[in-house]
Amino acid sequence: MTNQIELSGVNKHYGAFHALKNINLEIAKGSFVALVGPSGCGKSTLLRSLAGLESISEGDLKIAGELMNNVPPRKRDVAMVFQSYALYPHMTVEENLTYSLRIRGVAKAEAKKAAADVAATTGLSNLLKRYPRELSGGQRQRVAMSRAIIRHPKAFLFDEPLSNLDAALRVHMRKEIRALHDRLGATSVYVTHDQIEAMTMADHVVVMREGVIEQQGKPLELYDTPANKFVAGFIGSPAMNFIPGIVQADGSGLAIDLGTVKHTLPSNRQLQPGRKVTVGIRPEHIGITATGQGTFDIPVDVVESTGSATFITAATTPELTIVETGRSTACGGETIGVTINPVQLHLFDDATGVRI
Amino acid sequence: MKRLFSSITDGRGFDITLVTLPLIFLFVLSGLPLVYNIVMSFQEVDMFSLGTFVRPFVGFKNYVDLFKQPETLPIIYNTVLFVVGSIAGQFLIGFGLALFFWVNFPGASWLRGLFLVSWVMPGLVVGAIWNWVLSGDFGVLNFILRESGLISTNIFWRSDPNFSLWAVVIANIWLGTSFNMILLSVGLSSIPGDLYEAAELDGANAWQRFWTITLPMMRSTIGAIVSLGLIFTLQQFDLFAAITDGGPNNSSNVTQYWAWDLSFRQYDFGKGATISVIMIVFVMFASIVYVRSTKHEVRG
Amino acid sequence: MNDTNRNRLMLFIAIVLAAIYLFPLYWMYITALKSGSEMFANPPSFWPSSPQWGTYAYVWESRNMGRYLWNSVVIAFGSVALITVLGVGCAYVLARYRNMWVDIGLFLILMLQVLPASLMITPIFVGFSQFGLLDYPRFAVILAIAAKSMPFFVVLVRATFMAVPMELEEAALVDGNSRFGAFFNIVLPLARNGILVSAILIFMQAFGEFVYSKSMIQEAELQPASVGLNSFMGPNTSEWNNIMAYATMYVTPVLAIFVLLQRRIVSGLTSGALK
Repeated sequence: MTNQIELSGVNKHYGAFHALKNINLEIAKGSFVALVGPSGCGKSTLLRSLAGLESISEGDLKIAGELMNNVPPRKRDVAMVFQSYALYPHMTVEENLTYSLRIRGVAKAEAKKAAADVAATTGLSNLLKRYPRELSGGQRQRVAMSRAIIRHPKAFLFDEPLSNLDAALRVHMRKEIRALHDRLGATSVYVTHDQIEAMTMADHVVVMREGVIEQQGKPLELYDTPANKFVAGFIGSPAMNFIPGIVQADGSGLAIDLGTVKHTLPSNRQLQPGRKVTVGIRPEHIGITATGQGTFDIPVDVVESTGSATFITAATTPELTIVETGRSTACGGETIGVTINPVQLHLFDDATGVRI
Repeated sequence: MKRLFSSITDGRGFDITLVTLPLIFLFVLSGLPLVYNIVMSFQEVDMFSLGTFVRPFVGFKNYVDLFKQPETLPIIYNTVLFVVGSIAGQFLIGFGLALFFWVNFPGASWLRGLFLVSWVMPGLVVGAIWNWVLSGDFGVLNFILRESGLISTNIFWRSDPNFSLWAVVIANIWLGTSFNMILLSVGLSSIPGDLYEAAELDGANAWQRFWTITLPMMRSTIGAIVSLGLIFTLQQFDLFAAITDGGPNNSSNVTQYWAWDLSFRQYDFGKGATISVIMIVFVMFASIVYVRSTKHEVRG
Repeated sequence: MNDTNRNRLMLFIAIVLAAIYLFPLYWMYITALKSGSEMFANPPSFWPSSPQWGTYAYVWESRNMGRYLWNSVVIAFGSVALITVLGVGCAYVLARYRNMWVDIGLFLILMLQVLPASLMITPIFVGFSQFGLLDYPRFAVILAIAAKSMPFFVVLVRATFMAVPMELEEAALVDGNSRFGAFFNIVLPLARNGILVSAILIFMQAFGEFVYSKSMIQEAELQPASVGLNSFMGPNTSEWNNIMAYATMYVTPVLAIFVLLQRRIVSGLTSGALK
């Protein structure tokens, strides 16, 4: 499969601030890539650099095999869906859609037909004569996407397009966007701070922090084998539990310290005795049982139920979070037993955070 | 009585008092004179009947006489030229400056504000300065024009009937450009930046972006500014007093200056009132356009 | 070209543009310093060869500028005082509500600010003389200026009040203030800056007012500096250095205030004039 977009050794400086640090990324044609990370990690900067709205200080950026470093945005043939949609308020929906065609001198009749076709696929056919201020949030979203689609660009760039929508609409639009991508056979780069969006929509997820790519790969790869503590804590909701531990003298036991509870977990890894590690275990991988019947016992602090799942917070230091599907018998103030499967433990070096 | 007092400090009475006092003041000092103007235009007013309200009613005689006078139409024509020339100059130069400063660089907003000195200075002083700058033999403008080869002999801005009106137009453009620039700058910055980014990605170059995004979105701002410009230009008096005094031979006379001249130098208050009424109709029209362009906001 | 260089270039061009635009001001200042003969030099000199500082004292004395400027100050302060007292409350109410009455009020006020002084002077003069107000010429001018400039003031100050959140006033009422108390203790102090800026703008306008002053004040004793300047400049005027010295002394206080408060004034204007 050919690469539609290639970034090699890309760096960006804003004066003294190093916004993007040595980014290497290959995006195959037809794939859906999500850029995730906390605020300020550089994901939007990276996206805007792809569009040409920002220039890169070092490195190479290629789109469809051509070097694009110094090419202005209007010649790159990429389309962007903005967080605020950026619909032209003084033009009707139809005029918004045909804008890019009219700019290039396409005949009016042809442009109108193209707009009608796109509107049919995105369900906007009877809104063509309306103005953006007359549309709902979801409708505006679809206009923004249609405007991108009509150009048949080399790549679609999404800049947190769903953050202005309410939760229910977001879930619905996630599916629509991905379905659209598949239908068009497009190449999409999608920026979001919501890891659930990234996990559910993308073929390839890129986790960024402070200008660096912490890890990239298939969504489930990042879930199953996070490369470091940051990725482990970022992917998955609720977040992974991190417990400080020390390797025992026999090289395979892990002495974990939960404040009032201390225990030695068996591990199937051979490690240097005395080494300090951070043990990671996902809330959904901890099982509940009666006291004395599990791996060890913990006191329960708070139990919250949403009806379909139960969130149990343990009164330990650090706090353990446990998620049970359905109802649970646990109650606040009680002690319960927990079961942990050593296979599901993640080990990270205490100092560097890197996966062991 | 107590209820009335408490209403004034604490209820509807409070609002009503705060508004009605100024409105009464304005009514008496602006509204009544307006009406009085209309009344006087239908009367025969002279020095001796200044003291009384009841004066001979002469119907439309003042109006008819006015249009019979030979200088009336040329003066009206001058007024149109003055307004169009001033607004065009102020708007175009102001827009150019606004676009320049809109690019934004450190120091831009401070420098931009400096231009406003032309607007806050007393009009008479501006007129005096330009009078000297436009002087035929010794004025610095002629010097600069000659040195740059644009003209070969001095233009007698103030005394040449062909140029006297334009002398005032030039001074008026200088006076009003900065105000236009500031308001246009505000209009420009109200356009969201990501519209330009979207347009750029859609393939538009700088000129296309200006034409298809900037100008259409500035339409109501431009409407407000042009109508404000019309209002202020029709109010301009001091420059005429300072530079040409309407001459030579009415070549730079405009209706608002003429109205004053008729009343206070020719003592024909009837005619002065007549012109005032005619002009006020035009001015009202401009203000309706202005009000309609600025119709929208809620309390913060 | 990278960003810093571009910024420097733009700044340079901006300074050049400002210098060109402000050239007439510069010309005023140096003409005041030129000697009688240097004024008429051909080509004109762009820097006075021997600055005549004595011109200022001469003009001040011979034209009795002290008296003229005093009258200008009296008229300007009087107008600002009257406008502020009447206009602040009006602007407050017009900002607080939005209904048909307010719309009508706003519309009328907007219409009134449109009327040129040179047209209104005729009925005002006739009316004032009938009521004997012309016996107090400066007061008559103050009334006329107040009527002319109040709409502008109300529009600007209304914008200031609109920026004061309604919640603050409501909180004050809940805390036990009367409407008057809430206005005076809470809203007014918050709007103080905007009111000050608008008052300064009005002051500068009134300081330079010409039409009303010239038409209604006959005694030279009571005329403001604008009329003084006008009488200085006859049709065959040639003592430009004196005239420019007069203009300089007249205008510099206003310019100084403006340059100091320029930022505030611009933001006050921009929030008010377009609304």
